[in-house]
Amino acid sequence: MAKFHPDLHMLTELTAGTLSLAQSACVSMHLTYCGRCQEISEAQTAVAANLFEDLEPVTVSDSQLDIVMSRLDEEAPLTYPKERQNDTSSTPAVLQRLMHGDFSDLTWKKITSSLRISYLSTGDPYYEFALYHIKAGGVIPEHGHRGSEMTLVLEGGFSDSQGTYHAGDFLFRESGDVHSPAALADEDCICLAVLDAPLKFTRLRHRWMNPFLQLKAS
Amino acid sequence: MSVVTKKPGDEVTNLESGRRTDEWSQCLRAIAKHRDRAAFARFFKQFAPLIKAFALSGSTMSANHADELVQEVMLKVWQKADGFNPDKASASTWVYTIARNCRTDLYRRLQKFDTPLSADDVSLDQDGEEPAVMLHQRRTRDRVRAMMDTLPADQAHILAKVYMEGKSHSEVASELDLPLGTVKSRVRLAIQKLQIQMED
Repeated sequence: MAKFHPDLHMLTELTAGTLSLAQSACVSMHLTYCGRCQEISEAQTAVAANLFEDLEPVTVSDSQLDIVMSRLDEEAPLTYPKERQNDTSSTPAVLQRLMHGDFSDLTWKKITSSLRISYLSTGDPYYEFALYHIKAGGVIPEHGHRGSEMTLVLEGGFSDSQGTYHAGDFLFRESGDVHSPAALADEDCICLAVLDAPLKFTRLRHRWMNPFLQLKAS
Repeated sequence: MSVVTKKPGDEVTNLESGRRTDEWSQCLRAIAKHRDRAAFARFFKQFAPLIKAFALSGSTMSANHADELVQEVMLKVWQKADGFNPDKASASTWVYTIARNCRTDLYRRLQKFDTPLSADDVSLDQDGEEPAVMLHQRRTRDRVRAMMDTLPADQAHILAKVYMEGKSHSEVASELDLPLGTVKSRVRLAIQKLQIQMED
């Protein structure tokens, strides 16, 4: 059971459908691990459905009904069946879709001897969506964030000065937070990180990678 | 005790089975089982005006796009009626989630997002099949409904903006000319008042 959760406002925006695409993918993946947050989101859906029922109806012309009736025989678009998450050790379905397979099918970029990163494309132009693979016992050198960062632990775990995190745990760091996460000693850690990287993305990424490159050189 | 007035979406729940037997659930079953076009037309007349109101509620969508959304949602109702489970959700909750996801996808299409993900993929599946879970969810919904009338005006207003208008907290804050923290604390107070547990 996850111990670290998104805050109320992220769950509210997820439920209302107003969270950005990349962030909603991350928060909804947390929900596949977390009954507590699922329950909150369900209750929020009930709030929204009540508000929906109470809206002041706006007249829809009969021609709209005719148009829809005439389209009923159109073939329904293909839908993907959503795998049920019976097992918390399995990879969330959304992630499997984005990876087109498994962790081993990805292209991993080696940053340090213990850190590899794989960038995934969600189609959200405002957020970087990447998987971090930290070797058991490996440490990511201390770094700060210029924007916000969501992290979801997928496999293994890591710790920093504020706690120890396992599969399903969700963290949110604001800009300015500095930390130095270390994977747990006995298992490799894979986590998802969603960073807001507007137009400054490249510069941000280079600045952020700098310490690692120097470290590797040393 | 407050006076209970019956609204069109209200349902009668058979306590024994917990099955919802209201008019609109039955309507959806007729659509699913018998491909009943007359039932679909009735359903359209009930819900299309709410979907249109939902589309227009944030004043960010053109009338043309609102009509497009109504069509798209109602087509999905026809196509997905088979997946409606009256034990899990009321008809209006089911329609609302379709409308919300279609609206999110429409916004993303308009912003020319090229994405393999739809809003369906990243929204919560009401997955609980177990009777105890469904009973719990139903109680939550009933409690939420009963408590919503007790909210102070500013809290009710902020919930309507946050859930219906398709705007993030920051967008609501700048529209109302309020600090983001004020919007967040109003949302938090309202959610607490509805007894949706949230101990951080």
